[in-house]
Amino acid sequence: MTLLLSSLFVCAASIFLMLALARFKKLSSYVFLGSLIASCLLGFFCAAGVLTHQITDLAFRWRGTIPFEEFYIAIDPLSAFFLLLLFILSLAAGIYGFGYLRDYKGARNVAVHFSLYQLLILVIALVLTARNAVLFLVAWELMTVVSYFLVTFYNEKEEVRQAGYLYLIATHTGTFCLILMFFLMGVHAGSMNFDQMALSAYPLGFAGLLFVLAVLGFGVKAGFIPLHIWLPQAHPAAPTHISALLSGVLIKIGIYGLIRLMTIVGNFPLWCGILLLAIGIISGVLGVLYALGQHEIKKLLAYHSIENIGIITLGLGIGLIGHIYHQETVSFIGYAAALLHTFNHAVFKGLLFLSAGSVIKATHTGEMDHMGGLLKVLPWTGHLFLVGSLSICGLPLFNGFISEWLTFRAFLEGVFHFDLYGIMLACIAIAALALIGGLAALCFAKAFGAVFLGTNRSSHPADYKEGDLVLQAPQLLLAAICLWGGVFPAVMLSYAFEGARPMTRLTAPEFLQEAVLNPAFMVTKVLGLAVIFFLVLWLVRKISLCSCTIDRKETWGCGYARVSSRMQYTASSFARPVLRIFRLPVSFKVESRISRGYFPTGAGLSSSVKDASEIFIFRPVFYFIKKLSRALKWIQSGFTPYYILYILFLLVVLLIWKLH
Amino acid sequence: MSSLILHLGILLAFPPLLLGVITKTKAFFAGRRGAPLCQPYYDIFKLMRKGSVYSVTSNWIFRLGPLISTAVILAAGIVLPIAVFKAPVQFGGDIILFIYLLGLARFFMVLAALDTGSSFEGMGACREATFSCLSEITIFLNLTILALLSRGLSLSGIFLGGLASSWMQVGPVLILVAASFFLVLLSENSRIPVDDPETHLELTMIHEVMVLDHSGMELGCILYTQALKLFLFGSMLVSMVLGLMPRNVWGQGLYFILGILGLGVVIGVVESAMARLRLNRVLYLLYSALIFSIFALIVILVRGHV
Amino acid sequence: MSVWLDAVLILIVLLGLLIIVSHRLGSMIQIFGLQSCILGVVPFFLYANGIEFFIIIVALAAIVLRGFLMPSFLYWAIRHVDMRTEINPTIGIGTTLLLSGLAIVGSFLLASKLVFPMKIASDMVIPCSFSLIIMGFLLVIGRMKAISQVVGYLVLENGIFLFAMLLLKKMPLLVEMGILLDLFIAAVVLGIVVNNISDEFNNTDTVQLTTLKD
Repeated sequence: MTLLLSSLFVCAASIFLMLALARFKKLSSYVFLGSLIASCLLGFFCAAGVLTHQITDLAFRWRGTIPFEEFYIAIDPLSAFFLLLLFILSLAAGIYGFGYLRDYKGARNVAVHFSLYQLLILVIALVLTARNAVLFLVAWELMTVVSYFLVTFYNEKEEVRQAGYLYLIATHTGTFCLILMFFLMGVHAGSMNFDQMALSAYPLGFAGLLFVLAVLGFGVKAGFIPLHIWLPQAHPAAPTHISALLSGVLIKIGIYGLIRLMTIVGNFPLWCGILLLAIGIISGVLGVLYALGQHEIKKLLAYHSIENIGIITLGLGIGLIGHIYHQETVSFIGYAAALLHTFNHAVFKGLLFLSAGSVIKATHTGEMDHMGGLLKVLPWTGHLFLVGSLSICGLPLFNGFISEWLTFRAFLEGVFHFDLYGIMLACIAIAALALIGGLAALCFAKAFGAVFLGTNRSSHPADYKEGDLVLQAPQLLLAAICLWGGVFPAVMLSYAFEGARPMTRLTAPEFLQEAVLNPAFMVTKVLGLAVIFFLVLWLVRKISLCSCTIDRKETWGCGYARVSSRMQYTASSFARPVLRIFRLPVSFKVESRISRGYFPTGAGLSSSVKDASEIFIFRPVFYFIKKLSRALKWIQSGFTPYYILYILFLLVVLLIWKLH
Repeated sequence: MSSLILHLGILLAFPPLLLGVITKTKAFFAGRRGAPLCQPYYDIFKLMRKGSVYSVTSNWIFRLGPLISTAVILAAGIVLPIAVFKAPVQFGGDIILFIYLLGLARFFMVLAALDTGSSFEGMGACREATFSCLSEITIFLNLTILALLSRGLSLSGIFLGGLASSWMQVGPVLILVAASFFLVLLSENSRIPVDDPETHLELTMIHEVMVLDHSGMELGCILYTQALKLFLFGSMLVSMVLGLMPRNVWGQGLYFILGILGLGVVIGVVESAMARLRLNRVLYLLYSALIFSIFALIVILVRGHV
Repeated sequence: MSVWLDAVLILIVLLGLLIIVSHRLGSMIQIFGLQSCILGVVPFFLYANGIEFFIIIVALAAIVLRGFLMPSFLYWAIRHVDMRTEINPTIGIGTTLLLSGLAIVGSFLLASKLVFPMKIASDMVIPCSFSLIIMGFLLVIGRMKAISQVVGYLVLENGIFLFAMLLLKKMPLLVEMGILLDLFIAAVVLGIVVNNISDEFNNTDTVQLTTLKD
């Protein structure tokens, strides 16, 4: 606990220091860098210590200062797991941000931005450790507001302001549900303290109500479809390191909240588990389909966050269903898979956002169809992006595979242990996961291929410059974690199972070794064999090429003599067949402009994907709200005495209510 | 260790023969004498000795992609039992690893195709990736059904000994699964109703157009990998249909060899008798495979034969 | 014996799926004929241990009527109006396929809830007949050409026939013949309709009929 408190103290102190030194831009950014590294390392060691049982003082209480009892924070393995991911990712993203904003010439004060960044880490850590509903909500609100300021860094642009508003409104709507939920729980348990809440028993129907409120409230943050509309807007609008943090950590806090509720309430009706599975399937499949239809790289990555949230939710769903079916092993594996995927997604998505940021910094555009052939000019960024893509597709050798494997594993265990309907649910989820995996691979083949392979499509290929070490180092760190997590998964697996412990009654997971760690070791073995096979083939190739000739020619244009880079398959055309197959759920449209005549000019083709939930759910709802508020506009007269009248009126009403 | 070497030996030696059988059958139906059975071996060896031509656009991914995919599919073969030989590496959940390794190989082949910057190869890559998305679901469902019936989470548990008794109880359902598997096999290995491995009309091809620019050793690797993948799928199908048991090594081994040669003949017959489907009808084929396995699953579940 | 019955039932449903994917009217009719022939074999499996004379009659009647007469009649119809393929179905073929997959799952779930008062040789008869009925409906709803609609209707009838076979021993022969007759009349009526449509409009697209609405 001392480690965590000191880490938070470093954060807090650096905020004031940076604000004080705000005039000296250079100095304050160095203060940021130093304090960031210090606080993240301290926090990291604290979290790792808790997960390996080396730290034992787990709580800090400070009585009587906050309304409703106390300032009470504590770390259990669950919090520690999320803290781990928070500190790793905010370290990487922070260093990247330091490099990214070094040559920023705009009107904003960078020091303020950096101090807000530190404040965000502080409040997220508070959210993760709060053991009091009021403290939790306060920290949650602060988190929203601070992240809003960080997202709208480039607020001179209209679309950034729009995205920021959307984010703020969406998350506040979610917070309303959360306040209601905690209020109900507090009233039922007679305390706002999480420990006290966990002690009281909740009737199943009530638990279901709480669950729905939590799904609405936390789901907005996590980006469940159809509550996700803010997400694809906010990610491209924010500066790169903030997008990474947003996608890597902030949306995971929604997942954390949901899991925390599950640990407090304990027993849920079956439909809650089915609801989670349904959300997971819908978010996963639709998320990746929407991602396929995007042409802007950050937007694509943002939709992929939704997809991965879907996978995480599937893990949570099988965990909950396993719990309801009293199959504790299934449930344990499911929860651990969800946690592990949360961590892995934070790492590889952070990596992908950072390298996408480097691409955008070099090319000054986010349009994938204007890029191409960048692997030659940006080799570092390209290969780091490749590592990220392989991980996010869940392909073996990288960490994404381990968590997807564990998720599948949970479902297969479920198939063995459930009854008819349980097996059907599990099979549907397996099919959905398989589909998500295939589509994700397609999508990242598209993204990597369009951006880094082939030849450059832009009309003015400038001399692109690779970023320097400050930008590369954090990406290298994250890529190394991806590889480490895929090749030696034992450490992260045991952390994930430790983190999932508060959710099950299993204490000593003796099956862990046999069911999870041994197979994981076998995976490493097979991968090792694959690497050996590859090396042998490579050697054979080296030797055989010694005696042969190697020609370098133009790519064969199938007989066409004047091949240009504009003839390449673009990202949009790559995604077209699969989007045509799924055109119903994603309302995929292709518009072509064909010009006729002897010298045709201006022909073109554009494809787009419309977010169904935006069109069919939010537009009508907002339209209705707008009409309603217009109807109530007469109250807002702008005439001061009227307002005083309202206050008087309210006071009288309150008085009558109280006296009654 | 010895089992690993044996397994690798089988994986290296046998697969091209399967391609030979298919072409021989097709030649028979066309009334020709056809290439010798060992022609694929000659082709591979010939290509291995040749030099390569690389596009100036390409990077290492184009050059090493085929090698990576060969290595990865070989590694996938390591977790799969072949005939009566248990897989050298087996563990609960290697089903998933197997399918994901195939996915990894495909991912690199797709990237290698995109690396050339040719629109034809982009088209082939895109089709390959699209169709495999759908067939992957079916493979997963089929393997889930088999796992459910044999109560085993590893490929060795499923294909060696787990299914023999199920044939007695739910034979017709297993035929459904086998049919679904066969359709997936055809589409994943780019055989005729889905893709024609022998045409050279770029616009209609899927897999072949994707590897248009490869030459020399890389092309040899691709050819071998194609045969290997077909062999792996075929060996799953044959083990499932025959319901092999790990005892009576020689008899069962003979069954397996006959089975896999028979599969080659069946594929050859299908290729001789059918024309390539139009691209949008390939989709219906994949949907049918999916429905077959859903049908099998629901029958098994409702019957309670689990 | 139940295993063979299961195999036959699965084959019948698969042939139904094949009818859905085939876009050539000729092959649709052929597959329908094959399906009906196989359907005619079902009573032998269903009442394997007590084959009586009237069962053989019903089976033979079904095979001859549905398996040979009806398809040749339909063949004559398509030759007469000269059409070959189904173009532009209202529900796409892929969608119809997926929907029939759902129908199979749904009918199995539904049948597992139903309690049939007699002992049946296989518990797959009822769900398979349900799936055939739904597939027939999908064909009737989703296709434009009158001939494919007729085939859809016949597939639906096949489903009903499959279900009715369960009652073969309890119910008198009359009911069975009634079903066959009903089917026959339906086909005749539709055949006449087809010919009239084609004579009037030179086309058997039923969309054209919408012009008759006022």
